[in-house]
Amino acid sequence: MSANTQKRYFRINPVLLKELKVRMRSWKAAILIGTYNFVLLLLTIFIMKLTMNNDIGAPTQATIFGTYAFLVAAQFGLITLIAPALTAGAISGEREKQTLDILLSTTLNHRSIITGKLFSSLSQIILLLVSSIPVFSIIFLYGGIGLVQLLQVYLFFILIAVTLGSIGIFFSTFIKKSTAANVLTYAVVVFLYLGTILISVFYVQLVIMPNYTNSQYEGTFWVFNLNPAVALISLVMDQFQEGGGRVFQGLTLTVQQGKLHLWHINAIFNAGLSVVLLFLSALKLNPVKRKWLGRGKK
Amino acid sequence: MLRIENLCKSYGKFRAVNDLNLHIPKGEIFGFVGPNGAGKTTTMRIICGLLDATSGKVYADGIDVIDRPKELKRKIGYMPDFFGVYDDLKVMEYLEFYASIYNIKGADSRKICQDLLELVDLTDKKDFYVDSLSRGMKQRLCLARSLVHNPELLILDEPASGMDPRARIEMKEILRTLKSMGKTILVSSHILPELAELCTAIGIIEKGRVVMSGTVDEITRKVYHTQTIRIKVIDRLEEAIRVLQEYPDIDGINPVGDNEVEASFNGDEVFMNALLVRLIQNNIPVTAFNQLDGNLEDIFMKVTATGEVEQ
Repeated sequence: MSANTQKRYFRINPVLLKELKVRMRSWKAAILIGTYNFVLLLLTIFIMKLTMNNDIGAPTQATIFGTYAFLVAAQFGLITLIAPALTAGAISGEREKQTLDILLSTTLNHRSIITGKLFSSLSQIILLLVSSIPVFSIIFLYGGIGLVQLLQVYLFFILIAVTLGSIGIFFSTFIKKSTAANVLTYAVVVFLYLGTILISVFYVQLVIMPNYTNSQYEGTFWVFNLNPAVALISLVMDQFQEGGGRVFQGLTLTVQQGKLHLWHINAIFNAGLSVVLLFLSALKLNPVKRKWLGRGKK
Repeated sequence: MLRIENLCKSYGKFRAVNDLNLHIPKGEIFGFVGPNGAGKTTTMRIICGLLDATSGKVYADGIDVIDRPKELKRKIGYMPDFFGVYDDLKVMEYLEFYASIYNIKGADSRKICQDLLELVDLTDKKDFYVDSLSRGMKQRLCLARSLVHNPELLILDEPASGMDPRARIEMKEILRTLKSMGKTILVSSHILPELAELCTAIGIIEKGRVVMSGTVDEITRKVYHTQTIRIKVIDRLEEAIRVLQEYPDIDGINPVGDNEVEASFNGDEVFMNALLVRLIQNNIPVTAFNQLDGNLEDIFMKVTATGEVEQ
């Protein structure tokens, strides 16, 4: 490998570097981290107080599961709220500030602009996650939760943050105004979290169930696999070897499809969705598409 | 340095750029003149790879904008007509960020950015937040930003718009310095006298086509078909006018005040020299004998009114 190639290989994305510098030195970052951990701490104290009042002596499996699930859900909820907000104005904001043209007139790759923006937002979320480890590790006081489980959950959080961030970047690239991009991003998030459940429930009740008059439908309707919240529940139940079973008709959390659990399928879907959205965003950002479309050929 | 061949850009049925051809040699300051919506910005954006042309070719230093965009962008520095800045960065950081895009880092980056700040006279502002700069300073900073990778070709879209007279003069001086550094500059402006003073050549664009191009003198000749000289004498103005009347190539004599006369003629510098010699031989006390520059504003109005494309 030549020196030049090595230099290029280890080059840090300039957009990422600039964004990190700007984001991390502002008071906003400190306020965000402080508020995030404060809210998480309040929730933790609340759930601890709730469980400890009921338990005398060693905590039961149910107490540990309840506390852990609550903390995971709280963290997940915060990420769901924050990730789209950090990315939905990334490109449209550059457009509104009239800095995008200058950026595009440089040698900077369109993919680098997209990934730089995504990863700078993501790094902020990772910082939130890392900073919350001390609060989250309260669960270790109870025992019953290993590092592997915690790592699994954190990786799932990061994947969800990437997915939500990609949705934000996608709308930010395709929609000119940041406000509209924010609204559409949250609309898709709401659809993923609630819309998929409503569609599944209605479809199962109206289309599938009439065929099961004498028996129970034990499967999981495929649209449920797209729901990150359902996938998280599936992951936590999987970690505790909790039955979960049939939540309602059409959603059975413990059923394996092939060798895959619901959260596996959701993780694959999220990863695929992120790649597609980021690819489309980079394509949209490229002002000269003739090469892509083959029109530039002589 | 820059060659544009049969460039077209359509938005539906509307043709923003219509079969535009242009050639700018290396080291030239080329002024792009045209009314609003004539296609100047569209052309500049296509050159910089910010817009896809419907058809036609653009080459900068022989590099095709479509085929090798990254290589081309290394050679071009672009300053758009409307632009924003990262208000949360300091002046030096702003330049260093763009330097890092071109893989210029560390001591090299610092040196280049300091030199550029010196060039645009912003050294004392290097630790200020960009947001705190005046409009003129931001324009100069943006120009410095476009130079960070030492491009050979500068595309400047209305670089002096919104500037006060002092800032405009400073900008003009910077552009002259850049020319002396061997840069080729394509600059658009609405302030025509400034362009006439600054540019080595101009191109008048209307309805997406270059209707006329060349030096201001060449265009003046093409438009008016004649040139004008102003002769100033101490006295004997009538005798001077009589000498001028002897020349059939002089088709207009217009006394200006008591001791000055303007003569329009169809001829070259040899003719002018012969005329001056004749006046001196006739003992007419000539104190000034100078060719009047064409008024770019008049030329612009005349050319854009007729909309004729030069053959």
